[in-house]
Amino acid sequence: MEKQYTHWEDVRDLLRNWREENCRQSEDVVDMWNDVLANHFGKLGDEGWLVLEQVFIAALDCHNMEVANFCLSKLNQEFPDSLRVKRLKAMKYEASEKYDHALDILDLIIKKDETNAASRKRKVTIYKSQGMIIEAIKELTDYLRIFMADQEAWMELCDLYISQQEWNKAAFCVEELMLHSPFNHLYLQRYAEIKYTQGGYENLEVARTYYSQAAKLNPKNVRALYGLMLTSVHMASNSKCPSQKKKESIKLSEWASNQLSQLQGSNDSKLFSSQILEGLGNLQIGNDSKN
Amino acid sequence: MSSSMNKYMFILGIVLLFHAAYSAAQHRSYLRLTEQEFTSLPADIVLQTIFSLLLAVFGVTMIAGEFKEIRSNIDLQKKTWKNLNNRPSFYTFNHRGHIFNPIAFSRSSSGKGALEAN
Repeated sequence: MEKQYTHWEDVRDLLRNWREENCRQSEDVVDMWNDVLANHFGKLGDEGWLVLEQVFIAALDCHNMEVANFCLSKLNQEFPDSLRVKRLKAMKYEASEKYDHALDILDLIIKKDETNAASRKRKVTIYKSQGMIIEAIKELTDYLRIFMADQEAWMELCDLYISQQEWNKAAFCVEELMLHSPFNHLYLQRYAEIKYTQGGYENLEVARTYYSQAAKLNPKNVRALYGLMLTSVHMASNSKCPSQKKKESIKLSEWASNQLSQLQGSNDSKLFSSQILEGLGNLQIGNDSKN
Repeated sequence: MSSSMNKYMFILGIVLLFHAAYSAAQHRSYLRLTEQEFTSLPADIVLQTIFSLLLAVFGVTMIAGEFKEIRSNIDLQKKTWKNLNNRPSFYTFNHRGHIFNPIAFSRSSSGKGALEAN
């Protein structure tokens, strides 16, 4: 891919951007390292070590052990006593599925430095990759008791709970995240999704509120608009819904679907999307609530 | 073009500001020499001070860079779930990635050798 990235400075900027924006793109990272940056490592200066770490993790992600070994040995030469490099070594054991070795190293790191958050998180992933979700949850809740402001960890815990279908606990995690950044439409959308999945009239009502807020914060959030449409249609067809609210819901669903068709109309696939929307509407309404 | 304009404006503002300060000092020493009572600075110095201060403030604001959006949700609107939900410290590696890697089959052997080398 990315034929235009042939100059090492462009690649450096791109990788930096990916590091900051939190993109996974592991295969591309490894490719770019091999094609361009490996020959210009000396020019990177201090940033080079960050790049090496990034490439190392990306290489593990693609199971490209040659590149991973190269990065690790370079880092090890430069920082022989670093706990961070030791953690990377543990990650490599993890990638080659030697979980006991990895756990030993991580325990050693934590013993040396009790505040080493990253190593504690790696312990969670070791349990997770072995399929021991309950243990992973326990480890992660212990971790969160110490590091309560770690958004990444709350998100992970939320996903773990969702995989166990513990919706209430998962919702609690997202509530925590929403406290951290109340204007992030994605957290609001996530909370609404969990509530929508839980089902029941009260939960639908909560979901609708949060979908609305997400759509308000980002009017281009298609997923929130779809969610808004679906929840309001569901609410309108619910027998518990008073007639006043029924009208409101129908109005809201119409507004959401209008909004969606406008959004998709601004893209090219006008015909296609309008058909899908119509189909979705038919599918969801089913009964005579709207007609 | 405008960035260099802003720079000149800032420099001009600062220079004028210093000039105003110098004029004020000159005025005071002139008053002392002629043994007059000090009441207030002449209007032109006051005007120059205010004008050059505004100029410098404007210039330095424009030099400092792009303005950030004051509404906090604008920056967040650009975030996608894909990147937000990607958590580097919780990567697991026992996924299908190694199947797509052509040299995957050598992974266990090469991995071992290198770890011992470290």
